Amino acid sequence: MSGPVPWYDWIRAEEDPARVSEKPEALDDLVVLDVSQGHYGAFLCGTYLAELGAEVIKVEPPGGDPVRRWGPADATVNGTGLAFVAEARNKYCVTLNLGKPSGRRLLKGLAARADVLVEGFRPGYLDGLGLGYRQLARMNPRLVYVACSAYGQFGPDAPRQAAEYDLTDQALSGLMHVTGDPDGPPIRVGSWVSAYAQAAWATLGVLAALHWRESSGRGQMIDVSGVEALLRYMEYTVLLYHATGQVRGRMGLYELAVFPYTFVRVKDGYAFIAGYTDPNFQAICRVMGRPELAKDSRFSTTIQRTHPEHEILLRQEIEKWSITLTADEILEKVMADPGPGIIVFGPMNPPTRVLEEGHWWERGCFKKVRDPLYGELLLQMPAWRMTRTPPRLTWACRPVGFHNAHVYRKYFGFGPERLAELGDQGVL
Amino acid sequence: MRREYFRWAQRLFDPAQIHAKPEALNGIRVLDLSVIIFGPATADFLGELGAEVIKVELPGQGDVTRILGGASFFWKNVSLAFFPQNHSKYHVGIDMHKPAGQALIRKLAARSDVVIENFRAGTCEERFGIGYRQLREVNPRLIYVANTGFGQWGPFARGRASYDGLAQAVSGLTAITGTPGEHPTKIGNYIGDWYGASMSAVGALAALRWRDRTGEGQFVEMAQCEGLLRAMDWTWLYAGVTKRDRPRIGNRDPVFSPSGVYPCKDGFVALVAGSDAEFRGLLRMLGKTAWARDRRFRGVESRRKPESADALDGAIRAWCEKRTRRAIDSAARRFGVPVGRVMTGKDHYESQHLRARRSVWEYEDPVYGTMVEYGPAPKLSATPARIKWAGKPVGFHNEFVLKKILGLSDEEIQALAVEGVVGKWADRVGPKPPDGWQGEGSLL
Repeated sequence: MSGPVPWYDWIRAEEDPARVSEKPEALDDLVVLDVSQGHYGAFLCGTYLAELGAEVIKVEPPGGDPVRRWGPADATVNGTGLAFVAEARNKYCVTLNLGKPSGRRLLKGLAARADVLVEGFRPGYLDGLGLGYRQLARMNPRLVYVACSAYGQFGPDAPRQAAEYDLTDQALSGLMHVTGDPDGPPIRVGSWVSAYAQAAWATLGVLAALHWRESSGRGQMIDVSGVEALLRYMEYTVLLYHATGQVRGRMGLYELAVFPYTFVRVKDGYAFIAGYTDPNFQAICRVMGRPELAKDSRFSTTIQRTHPEHEILLRQEIEKWSITLTADEILEKVMADPGPGIIVFGPMNPPTRVLEEGHWWERGCFKKVRDPLYGELLLQMPAWRMTRTPPRLTWACRPVGFHNAHVYRKYFGFGPERLAELGDQGVL
Repeated sequence: MRREYFRWAQRLFDPAQIHAKPEALNGIRVLDLSVIIFGPATADFLGELGAEVIKVELPGQGDVTRILGGASFFWKNVSLAFFPQNHSKYHVGIDMHKPAGQALIRKLAARSDVVIENFRAGTCEERFGIGYRQLREVNPRLIYVANTGFGQWGPFARGRASYDGLAQAVSGLTAITGTPGEHPTKIGNYIGDWYGASMSAVGALAALRWRDRTGEGQFVEMAQCEGLLRAMDWTWLYAGVTKRDRPRIGNRDPVFSPSGVYPCKDGFVALVAGSDAEFRGLLRMLGKTAWARDRRFRGVESRRKPESADALDGAIRAWCEKRTRRAIDSAARRFGVPVGRVMTGKDHYESQHLRARRSVWEYEDPVYGTMVEYGPAPKLSATPARIKWAGKPVGFHNEFVLKKILGLSDEEIQALAVEGVVGKWADRVGPKPPDGWQGEGSLL
């Protein structure tokens, strides 16, 4: 039974961002070692697991993870790169020099107690130090070990010792080949999407492996390539070639399979508009005051509308109308349309404009945090809502080695003198 | 030592052994009530990892992706857009608009672990009587995953629909992508759907881990716009610190320099030399070793300055223009410079590496014959993800699902079919089997 409270109000109360801390965390029984260095995808995998409640220990070389220096040239926070500060949340930051035998011994000690280890070194690097999956699994067979790289841990190109960059991932995945105008160059997506995709796959693999560990008692190794992380998002690109011999190319503002589904100019910028099934396209024509367009033989079926020349003509027809109105005015008309059919419409917002939309703030997508060490930070929040175990931000970012005392006491019983000694020896 | 590592890794992940190994999500049943990409892909990703996925479609037409596309996009009576998010599923045609169809859904949900839907907020409860609150009555352990554009609540949630392209626009991702001064760049794939689906699957498995620990189910939601907001690295922090928009900068990486996408004789390559070692390799590759002593290029910070980056860009461009992708790639390998060819579907199809990893996965399907698709992204050594069969016509597994899971008799199924509560494909391109299909692949 649905009960007396409407769904909207019920789910809003259940997911209330203000009450997240009252609830338990899905992964709060897990210990995760993030040993990544200079690898954003592996770093983000640790971040996702930390948002879902795991104790994530970020193990850095004494000079700090190179990612701490990554970010735009014209802004830093406390001298730290924005790319690091934005995503370092909830982690325990410790230092450990893997170049020294006693550093490696300590990492083994941590790995013996960990559920998950995430790394992003070139394939075989940690194995060469005696810290790879096969060595650690002998000591801890329940360990789930995730290795992130560009080409993966096996296959003909795996031995290629190239660092992984988002730009090369976007190229090799083919995402870049289909993004941009047909007569222009391939275009990269503006954020480091391959790292986010790689982290999502790595996290999915970890959680599946942990579920299997419940019944088998065994851990395993997971190999996640950032190229393939995006490749799996490339839809029918390879099937199209297999089935028809066509090579999917760049379509710019147009589409192979659905139309209208495009950007158009509006009085105050650009906006996205879509309605590609028949009832949805009829709704667009109705809102435009052009019901006859829906009956035009060039536009009346999904197949006709996706004819390349018809797409151009149809976009022109829509733009003739949209240019006379602001995005807000159009959205008002769209929302007032009684149906049938659904029109999908919204403005192309630059980030500062996105930040003015009350919707995201009300839903807790962003948070302004006053951090004792890093000052005022505007951060994006975890993407999932969960009624029982919501993910959360607990702290934003901590300096190199900030949690050394805590973590080394908790796991090894080290006190200040031992820590100082290890510091002097260059181990921490 | 290293060669030995790769031999070991090859054995550990040996693709020939995939089907001989267990599946991580074996025994987990997913009821997929969703359409198009975002929901079906979420279910598909769980299916790759071993969950049994039952895809419910409207009898007759089925999922709309079956009928999308221009003429050259149809193959064996179905749109190619249908396959990538519908592997290894059991296809059942149930009309959720009818009370008897809703009753079937409730029965299936009672026997499932995860339900996935991507209707507009509230639709499943208010219109179909199969929302989270109704289904948890019949199954308190249920994990109910709802995918939307804007979420279940909040000002935009009421009646506002979303597609991937809208999510790109309203999230700000479009605004930070592409070349300044030009029209907006629509990202070529449906990245908000796909990334959102991977994240949604992560949410489902996090909830499953909680259920493994406590027995409690829950409601999980993922909004496609919010997924993209989350995936914009330092965009928001930058706006907070500077009160400015992060600029669109085309194909240069915002942090690593030199970097860019360069035309060559037969296409394009992306090239990055972000570290000192990579930069030294680049200079050797370009034959510009004298630049190693040039002030403009000393250290990562100097190379990021626009004048330095422009100078390097020009040199790289001139060098690439005269060469093929293959020549650039092998030089880059020799000199330790990270280079990625801008690959096409044909390149993927022909890649020995991707095929050896089953990231390009060729298999035989009883209905569609030889298929070549993108395989699962994460490679799990003990419980590898896999593709078992291709998407099937509407209602293809009706008898199997209704008998095996719900225990219905032939007479009961027949009666439901007469009322239009359950059904199969209509005789039209999209939902129907290929011409000449003789019943191959049927389970009952």
